[in-house]
Amino acid sequence: MMRNKVLAVDYHKCIGCRICEQWCSLSHHGVISPVKARVKVHRIEETGANIPVICTQCNPAPCVSICPENALSRDLKTGAVRVNDDLCVACRKCMNACPNGAISLDTSGETVLICDLCKGKPQCVAQCPTNSLTYVLPEIVGREQRTRIARCFEKGGRE
Amino acid sequence: MEKIPVSSTGKLLRVNLSSKEISQESIPFHVYRDYLGGRGAGAYYLLKELAKGVDPLSEDNKLVFFTGPVIGTLAPGSNKVSVTFKSPLTNTYSMSLCGGFWGPELKFAGYDALIIEGKSEKPVYLWIDNGEVSLKAAEHLWGQLIPKASDEVKKELGNDNTIRVACIGPAGEKLNKMACITADRHREFGRGGAGAVMGSKNLKAIAVRGTGEIQMSQKGKMASLVKTLYQEFKGHPKANARTRYGTVEMLEGINNLGFWSTRNFSQGYFEGGEKLVGPKMRDDIVVSDASCYACPIGCGKNARVYYKGSRVHLEGPEFETVGLLGANCGVDDWESILKATEICDYYGMDTMAVGATISFAMECFEKGIIGLKDTDNIELKFGNGDALVSLAEKIANRDGFGDLLAEGVKIASEKLNAQDYAMHSKGLPLATYDPRGCKGMALTYATSPKGAHHMISPTMGAEIPGDRFAEEGKAGLVKDTQIQMALVDSLGFCSTMRFVLSVDKQQQLLELGSGLEISKEDMFKIGERILNIERLFNIREGFNRKDDTLPNRFLKEVIKEGLSAGHSINLEKMLDEYYQVMGWDRNGIPEESKLAELNISQFGNK
Repeated sequence: MMRNKVLAVDYHKCIGCRICEQWCSLSHHGVISPVKARVKVHRIEETGANIPVICTQCNPAPCVSICPENALSRDLKTGAVRVNDDLCVACRKCMNACPNGAISLDTSGETVLICDLCKGKPQCVAQCPTNSLTYVLPEIVGREQRTRIARCFEKGGRE
Repeated sequence: MEKIPVSSTGKLLRVNLSSKEISQESIPFHVYRDYLGGRGAGAYYLLKELAKGVDPLSEDNKLVFFTGPVIGTLAPGSNKVSVTFKSPLTNTYSMSLCGGFWGPELKFAGYDALIIEGKSEKPVYLWIDNGEVSLKAAEHLWGQLIPKASDEVKKELGNDNTIRVACIGPAGEKLNKMACITADRHREFGRGGAGAVMGSKNLKAIAVRGTGEIQMSQKGKMASLVKTLYQEFKGHPKANARTRYGTVEMLEGINNLGFWSTRNFSQGYFEGGEKLVGPKMRDDIVVSDASCYACPIGCGKNARVYYKGSRVHLEGPEFETVGLLGANCGVDDWESILKATEICDYYGMDTMAVGATISFAMECFEKGIIGLKDTDNIELKFGNGDALVSLAEKIANRDGFGDLLAEGVKIASEKLNAQDYAMHSKGLPLATYDPRGCKGMALTYATSPKGAHHMISPTMGAEIPGDRFAEEGKAGLVKDTQIQMALVDSLGFCSTMRFVLSVDKQQQLLELGSGLEISKEDMFKIGERILNIERLFNIREGFNRKDDTLPNRFLKEVIKEGLSAGHSINLEKMLDEYYQVMGWDRNGIPEESKLAELNISQFGNK
């Protein structure tokens, strides 16, 4: 039984600054480039909602299962999906299989970008100014949301 | 030849709408060295390329968009892109800054700058897809409101929601002189009428998609500096107030000190302000927070109200909007203020200028200069929120009485022979601070190169703890603040970052990001050079001391009540002192020795 932490997002707290994207692309590629980030913030302009799209490291992971080249595997230390760039042929089956839409194609077009949890120290979480992103044990995910919802019930109304 | 800054692309995209020619140019190193980018580089290009006496709404005017050298690096709050142009509202040099995501996207697309010139025969929009740039027909978009138009453009270009669109609304198309350019739906190149210039060129929108990358000179050191800065933001009370209440956090302080412009600057305290303060706003109307690119503060506030049963949902309100559409019109309910803001946002108008123009009309109505027959039967009394909303819509459509007001408060007041109630300098309406209650702001408004703009040198923060009514000695503070703002605006930082980012910190971020090593002394020299370049543009257009002035109300009438009561302004003495510290002659023209000191003698025209 793995006791790995997972990334979690509370989109109510996200302000859409995309600082997470900056640190993600910096830590993996040494440059600032939103398209190279593994986390992506999607802003819905009509309402102003900001939805950070993250890899939830599903288990079993559809991306790993579907990869015909065995390019994807599980890092046993962190539980993160690992991409072997040498094996990846960029067929994009994993992108289609991902239930979160969290996988993207690298700018080279030769390999895919999947969150590797920064070897257990996710930079997106470390630098998020609003704590919208957290890195916690699976059973902890959603506690804050539940508190908020409970408060709404207490008030007797909708949010 | 020195290399361009590491964090810059070194490229300028030039689009001529008359000839449809699209070209790329290199930006010479000296532009970065002498002006950094943004506002400074924009002023340099405009002065160099625009002939004297150009009609702002003719094809000879240009829109010079310029990003800063720190945009796209880790530097916090680095997202401001400037547009520099000759203003149809003031006929002066003008520049507006826009936050959001459009500027960074332009840089990720590979361009530090974009110059739009000429005039298209038919409506078009510009599509910048990294290196592929094209003009597309926009006749079907002409007349559309901003949210619809920007969504349409995205759909047409492949349903890509991450494409960034800067566009104008019907106000810009109809050459409303208060028209702005709106990016990402909610962020504006607000003041000075850039939207009208874009409209006069038949350019509806500029869509950008950038998938490139920005390098940093010393990324390790940059990362550790930025991490400590994030912590400083977290512990900074002023930054925290901004996070919670946006710029509206200033409302209570300014109102209580008695210099919050109320009822067209006839009073300095708004009794209805209590309903509009930050905590009330947060409780009553704010639904969520929003940020621009790379900003840890997030001063944007998404708000929702129901105006006469219809839902209004927008990003805002911010302090200046609440001031000029609210207090200055005597309106104290969120519903009317937000509905009027929505009209400005959808049609593409500067909320500040529109608010100031409506408050002018309200005073004329109350004084009997105009009546119901002039105002298309709108009861234009202070405090009438429905009148505010109706008139905003009329101005947006150039409908009836709104057609006159769409020319701006200066021209409207001349036509109505009511100049004494038009609260502007050089044609640009004042911001929401009554300068009688904070004398540095008097000098700021009077000497700002783009007309009465507060952010050219917001001295309030420095003045309030000291003697805000003192006139002597303020020239030095104004000069210093003007220089600091010129630097912030040219580097590409949002001015809110100044709470934490001193000039020292900005200089460090510049160096670690771009590799440009500029001493603090040279940074100040760059700031001063920018102010002088802007001044030289205006002097070439015939502006001088006679134009560095304020409405008579401030010079002749005192504030009657509140903590700023009894004060008016002796502007001439302050001007003398200011020209002296600037190294300008008595007429406000830079001395040749000053231009030589700043290495800009070639632009002298004495």
